[in-house]
Amino acid sequence: MTRDRLDRQLNQLRDDVLFIGSMVEQATLAAVDALKRRDVAAARRIYADDEKINRKRFDTESAALITIATQQPMAHDLRILAAVLEVITELERMGDYAKGIARICINVADEPLLKPLVDIPKMAEKTVDMLHRALEAFVREDAATARLIPQEDDEIDDLFNAVQNELVQIMIADPTSVDRANHLLWAAHNLERMADRVTNICERTVFIATGEMTEFDRTDDELTAM
Amino acid sequence: MTELKNRQTLDRLIKKLLDDILVLGSMVEQAVVQAVVALEKRDLSAAERIYAGDVRINKRRFQIEEDCLAMIATQQPIARDLRVLSSILEVNTELERMGDYGKGIARIVRELDKFDPIPFPDELPRMAAAAIDMLNKALDAFLNVDEQAARAIPELDYEVDHFYDRINRRLIKMVGKDRSIIDSANYMMWASHNLERLADRVTNICERTVFVATGEMIEFGKHLTVYKS
Repeated sequence: MTRDRLDRQLNQLRDDVLFIGSMVEQATLAAVDALKRRDVAAARRIYADDEKINRKRFDTESAALITIATQQPMAHDLRILAAVLEVITELERMGDYAKGIARICINVADEPLLKPLVDIPKMAEKTVDMLHRALEAFVREDAATARLIPQEDDEIDDLFNAVQNELVQIMIADPTSVDRANHLLWAAHNLERMADRVTNICERTVFIATGEMTEFDRTDDELTAM
Repeated sequence: MTELKNRQTLDRLIKKLLDDILVLGSMVEQAVVQAVVALEKRDLSAAERIYAGDVRINKRRFQIEEDCLAMIATQQPIARDLRVLSSILEVNTELERMGDYGKGIARIVRELDKFDPIPFPDELPRMAAAAIDMLNKALDAFLNVDEQAARAIPELDYEVDHFYDRINRRLIKMVGKDRSIIDSANYMMWASHNLERLADRVTNICERTVFVATGEMIEFGKHLTVYKS
């Protein structure tokens, strides 16, 4: 009976994680799309909608804590609950990055874009794709997949470096472009950081499955030169 | 009588966890400060030591997490106690990630060793000091549940961002004069980027302090600095 109840609660929490994940995925793609199309109205909507992600995370955290306090789960179940707490925090922060990109779109509304966006939308698609698969691996406790996803972070880093390289060249060639180039660089940064956080989710998935915490290399401590 | 005893037990256990958080915080502080010194001195052996030492931060973090979860499960805390414990879980994670930034800077020392030295941006140690100062203040506020302080600390992030901006501008200028240093300059920018992220995470600790005090989760404006020449 109690086991049933705990399982029900765990399933509900997994659904909540996936739900928050899909909110973040949508916000990210929409924010980059708004930046690309310079759609300030859309950006304002995305910016305001971050509140819904925050709310959902808060509610999910409360539910997970209550489960821990009332069901007194052990071992594997407790690892899942600890992981849910961390994963939803990571997701909420990723939502902030999407919000940050929406804000960049709002801030640059009056200025012409420095260049058509190509690599930044590619970064967004790749990051969202990694996130989506990382969350699927998380709910399935699929450690093998979780170990592989962080390796794809190299692609994000390559794209980021391409963006940074190009923008630095533009800044060197035309010092008046520094502000506008910095805005785009921040958008790329946000996506790069988002991908880093996907790695954190994967580490947790491995932890649930094996009870061992591994730390994958990530761009925070490993970076490539331009 | 039992109730009082339970209360005392809970208080003692929470106090212990908060002490652990402080220890973790000082480990992170040391790693970051020493990494920046190693960066300035191009001290490879110090960098390797810091890099390897990150494992201790990770272990400590997991020990705290385990203890904290066990407390939630066994003591069944409610209201403010539960808010404190859930916040310890988050602050704990934030600190461990900040430790990764120290490790990241140590790694940059290793990478920079492959290139000729470039002028060291002297704002970097000051930026590190500003970020660490924010961290210490935020941990103090967290421990004392000082909501007012917690609301004021995120403002200090502007100073850190200002350093970040200055350092990056200077490096870009240097690359403009001498293209051959582009890789070294890029690494140096990453070092300042790590410090900038560290300061960002301090804001999360402050949000949690407000949460412990009020029960409300707020979000301080994750401001995007609009750079002006």
